[in-house]
Amino acid sequence: MDRPTTPSRPPLRSVLLRSRKHTVLGVDPQHLIRWFFGGNASIAVIVLVLIMIFLLREGIDFLPTYRHELQTYRRAGLEFCDIIDQPLQQNQTLSSSLRQAISASLETLSKSARDRRDAAFLLKRQIEDKTTRTSESLSQALEKTPPLPPAELAKLRSEVQKAAAAASASLTYPDLFSAAEREQLQREFAALTPEVTDLPPLLQTLAADFTAKDREARTKFASLVQAQEEFEAATEPLQAVVDELKQHAQETKENAVEFEVLETNRLRLLEAAAKEKDPDEKASLIKEASASFTEAVNLAERIQAITSRATELREQVEKYAQVIEKAAAVLPTDAGTGVARTMVNDVREGIPVHAQAMRKAAAQLDSWRWDKPVSIFTVIGAFFFGTSWITNSSWQDFFGFVPLLSGSLVIAFIAILIATPVSVVAAIYTNQFASEREKELIKPVIEFIQAIPSVVLGFIGISLVGNLIKDVSEWSWLQWVPGFPIQERLNMFNAGCLLAFMAVPTMFSLSEDALNNVPRAYIDASDALGATKLQTVFRVIVPAGISGILSAILLGLGRVIGETMVVLLVAGNRIAIPDFSAGPGAIFQPAHTLTGIIAQELGEVSRGSSHWQALFMVGIVLFAISLLVNWCARAVARRFEPHKA
Amino acid sequence: MSADSAAKAKPPPVVQVRDMDFCYGTSKALFDINLEVKYHRVTALIGPSGCGKSTLLRCINRMNDRVPSARVTKGEVLVKGKNIHDTDVDLTQLRKQVGMVFQKSNPFPKSIYENVAYGLRIHGEKNKNLLDEAVERSLRHAALWDELKDRLSANALALSGGQQQRLCIARAIATLPDVLLMDEPCSALDPISTLKIEELMSQLAREYTIVIVTHNMQQAVRISDFTAFLHLGKLVEFSPTEELFTNPREKLTEAYLRGTFS
Ligand SMILES: Nc1ncnc2c1ncn2[C@@H]1O[C@H](COP(=O)(O)OP(=O)(O)OP(=O)(O)O)[C@@H](O)[C@H]1O
Ligand SMILES: [Mg+2]
Repeated sequence: MDRPTTPSRPPLRSVLLRSRKHTVLGVDPQHLIRWFFGGNASIAVIVLVLIMIFLLREGIDFLPTYRHELQTYRRAGLEFCDIIDQPLQQNQTLSSSLRQAISASLETLSKSARDRRDAAFLLKRQIEDKTTRTSESLSQALEKTPPLPPAELAKLRSEVQKAAAAASASLTYPDLFSAAEREQLQREFAALTPEVTDLPPLLQTLAADFTAKDREARTKFASLVQAQEEFEAATEPLQAVVDELKQHAQETKENAVEFEVLETNRLRLLEAAAKEKDPDEKASLIKEASASFTEAVNLAERIQAITSRATELREQVEKYAQVIEKAAAVLPTDAGTGVARTMVNDVREGIPVHAQAMRKAAAQLDSWRWDKPVSIFTVIGAFFFGTSWITNSSWQDFFGFVPLLSGSLVIAFIAILIATPVSVVAAIYTNQFASEREKELIKPVIEFIQAIPSVVLGFIGISLVGNLIKDVSEWSWLQWVPGFPIQERLNMFNAGCLLAFMAVPTMFSLSEDALNNVPRAYIDASDALGATKLQTVFRVIVPAGISGILSAILLGLGRVIGETMVVLLVAGNRIAIPDFSAGPGAIFQPAHTLTGIIAQELGEVSRGSSHWQALFMVGIVLFAISLLVNWCARAVARRFEPHKA
Repeated sequence: MSADSAAKAKPPPVVQVRDMDFCYGTSKALFDINLEVKYHRVTALIGPSGCGKSTLLRCINRMNDRVPSARVTKGEVLVKGKNIHDTDVDLTQLRKQVGMVFQKSNPFPKSIYENVAYGLRIHGEKNKNLLDEAVERSLRHAALWDELKDRLSANALALSGGQQQRLCIARAIATLPDVLLMDEPCSALDPISTLKIEELMSQLAREYTIVIVTHNMQQAVRISDFTAFLHLGKLVEFSPTEELFTNPREKLTEAYLRGTFS
């Protein structure tokens, strides 16, 4: 050892350094670092727990609040009225399809006359548009006092005539008109000036033609028209009684609610008074409280006015049912075109069902009790299985969850159905077949999709995809597709397409990872047995990566269910359960979603109201669904994970 | 059997490697290799690490094709008299003829049955009876049938390491290959499993031609009929095992066997 001997006293510098290294504010830095990392991890957990607590605190009061509202709904007799009123709505649906059938039938006779009339009027409008400038200056000149010299007026007139002649010559006249008619039209249009108020003669004839045809058609289908009118009129006496009762019930409800508000206010004042020390203040508080005292609504007495009419209601319902059944019997079987015929047939079948439903409803009236308490299970059922979400209603708010859930689920289902094949196939291609250069292109491009703000996608959905789907749905050779041609541009399918697009990056990347993680040794073994590339991919690699692919799909589903902006903009926001009786074409109907409803309504409701609480309930359920989906994804990944070799 | 009697008369070499050079890109890994693998015999490849044993083994079933820019630059490889680099050679058929077992057991994450049946399935066999028969025969040959016949549908990854390796052998022989290539098949196994596989190999040698890479001299002595010693990509000596181990012709071989090798 030929090291120089070290000085016995260590240099000051190293002492300082060492002491700095070992303790910071008297704590071992190792511990600090551990705490720092542990703290960061636990922040995530704490925030998650806080979110849950917050959601629950805001939402959990919903059930008692809603229960109270439903109780008022029952005690005030609104429920009683709805027993009859609800099924009665069906009348409107039926009569509107009858009305459609009628106009379709009339159409067969009067269409050509109407088309000719409409075309002629359209041409006239075009002429007027083209000659606006000159004719306006003429009409202004005519109104002038004192009147202009006749020479100047003549000049203006001739200008108008010239413009009209030029315009009428430049028009293209449709084939609806014969050569002679076209000539006559052109002549008449050329003579149009603001001074002539009468319609050109040919236009008058065309209008008269249509009126005659229409009248003829109406007489021809008189029985149908009459049946429709009778059917619609049949509700009137029944509706009158129901409306009267509804008004009474509503009054009761309003009074009851008002009483409640005043009463809580009064109790609060009294409470404050009890706490108040100053005798003057106390006295004034008590005085104020007694001023706001109101008589409680005597529900039992008021409901009497409604329930006592039950017999009358039942009779009216029976009468109504008989009338509409008679109307159904006289509905003609051969009403105009094919479309009209099927419509009329549907109505003919629908009416007895409707009548039956009305009778059943009437039978329920007797067993209805105003003072039957609303159990908490009823309330839970009304939320989770309620089929209508009605808010800000003057009659009664309902917070039924099913329309929103079904919208969310259908959209998510469409999105996953589209995104799964696309992303999985793309992942397989990129992972197994693509060259390095292709990989370098495909991966960043797909991952970039994630960076597109969802609001921008919403724009695209509204302006581009919607129109595209609508146009495509009108192609004649695609009419076999259920739901085509579509009515609404903004619908569940549109939203589903965009969400699929949004879910692709997640699903693609995770699937690609899953394929990447398939051990090289499996591929070696398969190759050594003489498998082709395709066989190796589909018999070894994909099955070995299936757990990862499945959990990728589930995580994509989680992303899709939670997405808000796109569905809010594109799904059409109609709060109704999609009409699945229309078959798979139902996906082209608009709908609302769990996320969309929160985003749309939360900003507008007053804090703490039942509506606010209901939205939080929706949030809780959404949260639960997301947790469940994520948990499933993890479980799937674990379940199918091959045993570690 | 005529094939057997012909084999006894004068067994033709199953694999012939002639004057072969092999390159990974620009670096040469094998130099001028000449090797004949005899019918129904076990041929061992020994040599220090990195000398090119695996490369040579992989030349026989063209597994090196998957390494970009790796290729035979001179000479040829014949399997049953056919040059395997001829354009009319179907790679899948070649690999059906030349089975391979890897150093680390690699059964698929499928059932035992599916693992063994895989080779037949990818070559288009759909007949359930034939598959059943082939699975049973292969497992019997791999001395696994009695252990596993009641749990054929169990996941292969649940087996022990030794069982997994024997399953891989069963999978490789299910397609009835002419040659079985084994790249250090026992190096990841415990002594007992190793013993079992060695026993298995001497039985298999009655029906298959085997080429095995091993680092274990005793193993080579125990199981092989011929041994090839490679060094730095060159075939130093190739002779019957007994001769090579008792009376090596080359100094290099002797040094390697003694372990006085630098
Ligand atoms: N894929 C490859 N690309 C480039 N060079 C390679 C590749 N595989 C092997 N080599 C080289 O070829 C030479 C022979 O390798 P090989 O794997 O055949 O050796 P080995 O004898 O099997 O060794 P070991 O006993 O360690 O398995 C080595 O120098 C190695 O670096
Ligand atoms: Mg090797």
